[in-house]
Amino acid sequence: MASAASASVANAGAERAPPRSTVVEAVAAAGLVAGGISFTLALRSDEVAGQLGEPLVVAMLSVLLTLSYVLCGLVAWSRRPASRFGPLMIAAGFTNFFGTLVWSHYAVPFTVGQALDFVTPVVFLHVFLAFPNGRVRERSVRLLLVAAYTTAIGLELVRMHFGEFGPHNLIEQDVNPGVAESVRKVQLTLISVYCLLGIGVLVARRLRGGRPLRRSLSLLVDAFGVGLLMLAFLFLSAAYGGPWVAQIRWATFVTLSLAPMVFLIGLLQARLARSALTGLVVELRTDLSPSDLRDALARTLRDPSLELAYWLPQFDTYADVEGRPLDLVTLGRGRATTLIDRQGVRVAALLHDPSLGDEPELLAAATAAAGIALENARLQAELRAGLEELRGSRARVIAAGQKERKRLERDLHDGAQQRLIALSLELNMLEQQLAAEPAAQARLDQARQEIALSLAELRAVAHGIHPAVLSGHGLHVALESMVARAPVPVHLLVDVDDRLEEPLEVAAYYVVSESIANIGKHAHASSATVDVRHTDGHVVVEIVDNGVGGADTEGGTGLRGLADRVEALGGRLRVWTPAGGGTRVKAEIPCA
Amino acid sequence: MRVAIAEDGVLLREGLSRLLGEAGFDVVAQCGDADELMLKVRSYPLDVAIVDIRLPPTHSDEGLRAALEIRASHPSVGVLVLSQYVELGLAMKLLADSAEGVGYLLKDRISDVNDFVSSVRRVADGGSALDPIIVSTLVSRQRDDDPLTDLTPRERDVLVLMAEGSSNQGIADKLVITTRAVEKYVSTIFAKLGLPSTGTESRRVLAVLAFLRA
Repeated sequence: MASAASASVANAGAERAPPRSTVVEAVAAAGLVAGGISFTLALRSDEVAGQLGEPLVVAMLSVLLTLSYVLCGLVAWSRRPASRFGPLMIAAGFTNFFGTLVWSHYAVPFTVGQALDFVTPVVFLHVFLAFPNGRVRERSVRLLLVAAYTTAIGLELVRMHFGEFGPHNLIEQDVNPGVAESVRKVQLTLISVYCLLGIGVLVARRLRGGRPLRRSLSLLVDAFGVGLLMLAFLFLSAAYGGPWVAQIRWATFVTLSLAPMVFLIGLLQARLARSALTGLVVELRTDLSPSDLRDALARTLRDPSLELAYWLPQFDTYADVEGRPLDLVTLGRGRATTLIDRQGVRVAALLHDPSLGDEPELLAAATAAAGIALENARLQAELRAGLEELRGSRARVIAAGQKERKRLERDLHDGAQQRLIALSLELNMLEQQLAAEPAAQARLDQARQEIALSLAELRAVAHGIHPAVLSGHGLHVALESMVARAPVPVHLLVDVDDRLEEPLEVAAYYVVSESIANIGKHAHASSATVDVRHTDGHVVVEIVDNGVGGADTEGGTGLRGLADRVEALGGRLRVWTPAGGGTRVKAEIPCA
Repeated sequence: MRVAIAEDGVLLREGLSRLLGEAGFDVVAQCGDADELMLKVRSYPLDVAIVDIRLPPTHSDEGLRAALEIRASHPSVGVLVLSQYVELGLAMKLLADSAEGVGYLLKDRISDVNDFVSSVRRVADGGSALDPIIVSTLVSRQRDDDPLTDLTPRERDVLVLMAEGSSNQGIADKLVITTRAVEKYVSTIFAKLGLPSTGTESRRVLAVLAFLRA
């Protein structure tokens, strides 16, 4: 069964090959060497011992930071070669290493390390804002990063120009500690502000996304935010002489190295997801209803934003499980689409978080396991869409019939009825001129009686074709006369707006007229009520009598025709008619 | 008497105008739609306007709206609404506040020239004219507990004519009895139905209709 289904990830550029293993090994080795150098420098540095606190702690934290970014970056790069995020993480790791060169006792590495000292936090900012694909698209965020890099390097060079960095500073020109200190404060404050702005960008993006994030992702973004917050706090504390700068620095190092850890945990969970797959298979073996299939898949793939779109070839569209058409272009914005085929035939499309692209095996296994259930759900969607189509066409047929009836009634009104009245009038005037001939007068009078009868019949026919009063004056006025002519006393309650949409008025009118006719024919009732009201987006028409009940709801075309009219408008008609318990007809028709 | 006609069917408009002219009315306006009628009503002093309930452009309720507007803004002008269907609900709208100077008749009634002309006169004079179909619908309506069973057939006839808007003289002529006899019938009917006696004949119409509709 599983082998019959296949999933293809339709991610743009997903074809790019992962880095070769020699490259991976070389980068990993370079990372280890860099870590070793940082470690040694930290232990031997006077500055570390003097200003930063415990050399061993600082040494270990520096190595942790460098290695966590380099190694996690390598994993990310291998998993998603198309994304620049992995290489960017690797770059961040090595930037951190170059920053630690500031502990060197040689002039060149020292100068390089010092110049790059503040580039390290900015690179972290860059990494966090470039998640998940390593690119920054928003213009404002790009500007923020450019400003941050400029501040980090530019102001650092200015400071080094004015000295205060000891004997190894190659850039020192005219020593002026006062200026250097002021520049440092500005630099630290600005970088703190950039970090806080970065938090703002993360929050705004999350709010704008609207969809729930996968849990591993939301943890990761939280880690980014905390990292930036710690950086901002650290720099402000350093600039304005806050306490415990050393301890805050340690905590910041730990927090910053957390982000790649969380990233790794997310990847590790991909392995764990195999067990969720077993859960899915168990769920599928029970009678999972098509509407629950999405939830089951969302749980298995740990993506609450997951959506399923079933392919309906005869309508040439994707649709939800209810058969409502879906627009994959708008729906898929900011998401990845995986197409699911079975035996070479398109079944559905899975819209999911792009990060699921890291786990193609899981995606393929889950969609394969759900293959038959997906096909079932697709059939249901197709059936529903077909029913909806049918309902629409039934409504159109009824509307066309109604239009034709209105036209006929108008023709009768403007044609035959008018001519007959004019003719009758003519005869009467002739009659008055023939006062001297009573015999002729009598015959004319008889002719007029005939015309009057014809007119009465024609009026009944015209009313039967289409009740003109309904389109002219609405439901309430039309029901008033109908109820007054009813075969039993009828209590009428109408609580609707002056006018409703015409198809609705017509349907409601016929529900009442057919029900009252039935009461006269079968119910043996002594009274009835007609209640028409507009509540909760529905027009409810209810006719209740106190007759013998037990009405025949199957035979005859009356009730069936009513049900057709009501259902064509998306409503439903129900009849309760217990023997001896009266009859109650209730139509509910959706109405805004 | 000055009369304006609003009717979009040419055949009927001409016929109406001719019969009213021959009956001694001064037909000052023949209109094809409601806007034209309203213009004439505002421009000429009129005694009565005869309005088809279905007028262009939509042929739905333009005529009724014009009739209600005339009743509201020109209470001295009688309004006689003609229609090819008569509806209780519309009669109630037309007579919502008063039965003075208002009529609602089936178009077929035109061909009984004498009756029709006297209905137009009555409306122009501030009386009422309600189509027999409306009144018979009301009288024959099914009721839980029908008070009309207490009336003699003759009293029923008088009640129907009263509801249609006939004056005592009109009732007397129709039933070929004296006006004194009519007055007696009227007071008996009011007593049997428990209605307070009213002054004018048009108020009487409203009282009877309200009773029949309840």
